[in-house]
Amino acid sequence: MNTEQATTESTLYAESIGHIGSFTITNALLTSWVVVFIIIIIAIVVKTKLKKIPKGIQNIFEILIEGAEGLCDQVTGNRAITNKAFPIVFAIFVFVLLNNWIGILPIGGFGLIQMSEHGKMFIPLFRSGTADINGTLPLAIMSVIGANVFGIISIGVWKTINKYVNLKALGSIFTKIKKDPGILMTAPIMFAVGILELVGEFAKIASLSFRLFGNVFAGEVLLVSMGAIMAYVLPTPFLLLEVFVGLIQAFIFAILTLVYYTISSMDHEEEHDEKEEHSKGELKEAH
Amino acid sequence: MDSFISTFHIDWKIIIAQSINFVIVLAVLYFLLVKPLKKLMSERTGTIEGGLNDAKANAELLANTKKEYDQVISNARNEAHNIFQEGKKDAEAKKAEMMEKAKKEVDNMIINGKKVLESEKTKIIDEAKQEIVSLVVLATEKLLETHPDKEFEDKSVNKLKKI
Repeated sequence: MNTEQATTESTLYAESIGHIGSFTITNALLTSWVVVFIIIIIAIVVKTKLKKIPKGIQNIFEILIEGAEGLCDQVTGNRAITNKAFPIVFAIFVFVLLNNWIGILPIGGFGLIQMSEHGKMFIPLFRSGTADINGTLPLAIMSVIGANVFGIISIGVWKTINKYVNLKALGSIFTKIKKDPGILMTAPIMFAVGILELVGEFAKIASLSFRLFGNVFAGEVLLVSMGAIMAYVLPTPFLLLEVFVGLIQAFIFAILTLVYYTISSMDHEEEHDEKEEHSKGELKEAH
Repeated sequence: MDSFISTFHIDWKIIIAQSINFVIVLAVLYFLLVKPLKKLMSERTGTIEGGLNDAKANAELLANTKKEYDQVISNARNEAHNIFQEGKKDAEAKKAEMMEKAKKEVDNMIINGKKVLESEKTKIIDEAKQEIVSLVVLATEKLLETHPDKEFEDKSVNKLKKI
């Protein structure tokens, strides 16, 4: 009789719990599906119970949406940008929040026992979708790409491309060299800054995805470690802390996305030109 | 890059699946929650604003109506006061006229009464006189019957004639 006990190990990656053909189903993906299912159910329930005089769950969502829009207004400073970006930001917030919270639900007992090279391994059925880089990376990519698409819609393709590959700065060498020979120095710098901006976009993806993944994964590891030291008692305060961390991380991800959207909808060239004209005007007045 | 992919078990299929998950969440939240809720909220805001505007208009209308009402009441009061004053004047004039008329009537009645009284008095006195004469005549006849004296008879007749 095999009496070997199954061990639990916190891995950096989501564990496989099944396959559909060549497609691997991980516990993080399953959690994400559960989240999607919960969101669909809640949305259908709210939609079917919509009334002009709000009641119950509709009240909660109205307060939530109104408050969130107010918060977004503070970040964007413009209701038009808020109206365009809000659905995406709100969806990110809800998706990340529910993923974070479902991952730390004390239902760790549900899982599979699989044989590995280290013996029997316990694979939990649920792992936060955001505790897997495969879950946070697409969110970050969509957030950054979405911001740039939003930028193209708001300020145009040419200006958005010029932010990263500053052809306008290079072109200004030929158009402004007679008036301002210093352009020979500034234009290449501006072009290099554009390239840095492009690199910065990838940095944004990395920072968004790894920040969320790191925080949520660390929280899960912390809970497992505390549970190993003293089950039930010790993890409880950390569980409450992780609930708060989950909320904060979802909020940070959503707000950063909104900030990227706001930045990408601003025309920096225009601002720069305005500032230049303003300073020229001030100089003339001083003379 | 390979070590990064192998360390974190990056799987493009899972990334696509997670992207689809998010797109579903975005669509569901937008079409079933955010859009209808925002529409409903803006409709409600419109209704409330409309109601507030109506209430404001009604308050203005009420204030104007109250002003008009006060004006009408004030006019009616003034008119009533004027009518009352005119009525009072008319009544006083009529009263004086009636008093005068009554006084005249009373005077006439007094004069007529006096006349009637005078005539009645004269009539009564005449009647009394007639009565007295007939009584005296009767008494004299009785005396003459009892005292058949010519001198006494003449004397009595003369005295009666004097009466």
